[in-house]
Amino acid sequence: MLRTHRAVLEDPSGGSGPRAAPLRVGTRSPHACPRGGPSPAPHSPAPRAAGAERAGTQIAAVAKATASRVSMAAAGTAPTSAASGKAEAEAIEKELLEDYRFGRQQLIEIWGHACAVAVTKAFPLPSLPRKQPTVLVVCGPAQNGAIGLVCARHLRIFDYEPTIFYPKRSLDPLYRDFTTQCEKMDIPFLSYLPTEVQLINDAYNAVVDAVLGAEAELGEGRGPCAGILATLKHVRIPIVSLDVPSGWDVEAGSSGGISPDVLVSLMAPKQCARRFLGRQHFVAGRFVPYDVQKKFELNPPEYPGTECVVALSAPQ
Amino acid sequence: MSSVPGPSREPPRYLSKAEAEAIEKELLEDYRFGRQQLIEIWGHACAVAVTKAFPLPSLPRKQPTVLVVCGPAQNGAIGLVCARHLRIFDYEPTIFYPKRSLDPLYRDFTTQCEKMDIPFLSYLPTEVQLINDAYNAVVDAVLGAEAELGEGRGPCAGILATLKHVRIPIVSLDVPSGWDVEAGSSGGISPDVLVSLMAPKQCARRFLGRQHFVAGRFVPYDVQKKFELNPPEYPGTECVVALSAPQ
Repeated sequence: MLRTHRAVLEDPSGGSGPRAAPLRVGTRSPHACPRGGPSPAPHSPAPRAAGAERAGTQIAAVAKATASRVSMAAAGTAPTSAASGKAEAEAIEKELLEDYRFGRQQLIEIWGHACAVAVTKAFPLPSLPRKQPTVLVVCGPAQNGAIGLVCARHLRIFDYEPTIFYPKRSLDPLYRDFTTQCEKMDIPFLSYLPTEVQLINDAYNAVVDAVLGAEAELGEGRGPCAGILATLKHVRIPIVSLDVPSGWDVEAGSSGGISPDVLVSLMAPKQCARRFLGRQHFVAGRFVPYDVQKKFELNPPEYPGTECVVALSAPQ
Repeated sequence: MSSVPGPSREPPRYLSKAEAEAIEKELLEDYRFGRQQLIEIWGHACAVAVTKAFPLPSLPRKQPTVLVVCGPAQNGAIGLVCARHLRIFDYEPTIFYPKRSLDPLYRDFTTQCEKMDIPFLSYLPTEVQLINDAYNAVVDAVLGAEAELGEGRGPCAGILATLKHVRIPIVSLDVPSGWDVEAGSSGGISPDVLVSLMAPKQCARRFLGRQHFVAGRFVPYDVQKKFELNPPEYPGTECVVALSAPQ
């Protein structure tokens, strides 16, 4: 079933102005221990060092070993974050699952929700060019696709109208449960993705790319998902990629692949994000425990209030 | 989505114990939500409510300390997740979790808190002034809607007796512990803040505290309709919203 909507002849570049995370400077005070309990180790994160100011960069991801915080007072942008290689990203996830005992269901729920919040920041409802707040969510067969399913469900809760394209349904019971949750929320599932890109451009305000993630093997973009990615490469509406632009190498980046407008990095940016040239780069890493941040030298940005995502740098 | 009240809305419906159980059953069995997923959603929403009721700059004590008292069942697990998110939100939670569940899911939630360096008290001081002095507020995650009538007088009685006498604000998760889910309190604790999960329970009619939040945004529309929840409007991407101030 293809949902069609009357094309609205408006400027499709609608979107709110750039949002930068406010700069908050402060250190965590040692954790006071009330009487009657075990004493925890005090938390004192390393003070943030000011570095040279970078101008004109879309995304300030630096090598892990030399990560330094850039003084952003003038530019009003958030401090830099270290970028993770593929092995590191896998190591962090492994630690969260095995040492910290997070569950996959829990993590995918956290990530999918954060991605949906990022979409609402990049494309606020009043800013959408089309009459209906339609979003196409393209989900691949593995974990990145499951994150897309949860993202779609939250977009529905946030009053968007997501449509899901999920051609290779996983047999994993967890991913099947996420699928059921979406089906029971009356989110339509396309039976095929039109190869005529104009149909996609006309029907949706944006595409969420949840096809391949950091776990994808090099070359997977040329395999079964190749057809989807070939179509996505030619859409003219904005693309939001979850964690890694699908088809990109996690570390080296793109070689003629899709060009997302918005990137939502999960936990921390991947090295390929250095080549991201789009409008906004969000990080969804608030839930990552402090000790993991320190161990992997993630240098996360500040998250205002109770926000679970933050924009990394002001778009140009 | 604006929080300004539009045309008059039906007030939210207050659920009986059976209805609350039926909704949870439907979410788990028909909608295939997982317990881990739901408890994560609820715990996070409770922590967000705490930040709204007690913003960091407003806390009276120098350190943003919060005591989270967790019971042995699901309400306690929600408290664990709430504590974890409070830590992420730069509060300093301390957990009292005397009857640790053997349920692997709840043990995982416990590990997540331990690995975030959240201290666990080995005992709850009976001298209430020690609690009043050390913490800004207490999160009551002892007993939930699933608690049987009279459980408040059972193993948790000692904890509830202490909580009844604290002078710092109490935030109860879903149901003030020790209250009957429908009839309400008979001399039990008096929370300042109540965070209703999914929808308010009937006992919330007797809630006399300062703020009543509902954390029900994730409930699918068809469930809301089926059970006639009449949920409030949630602004923006908020997962909790305060109901109108009680009289």
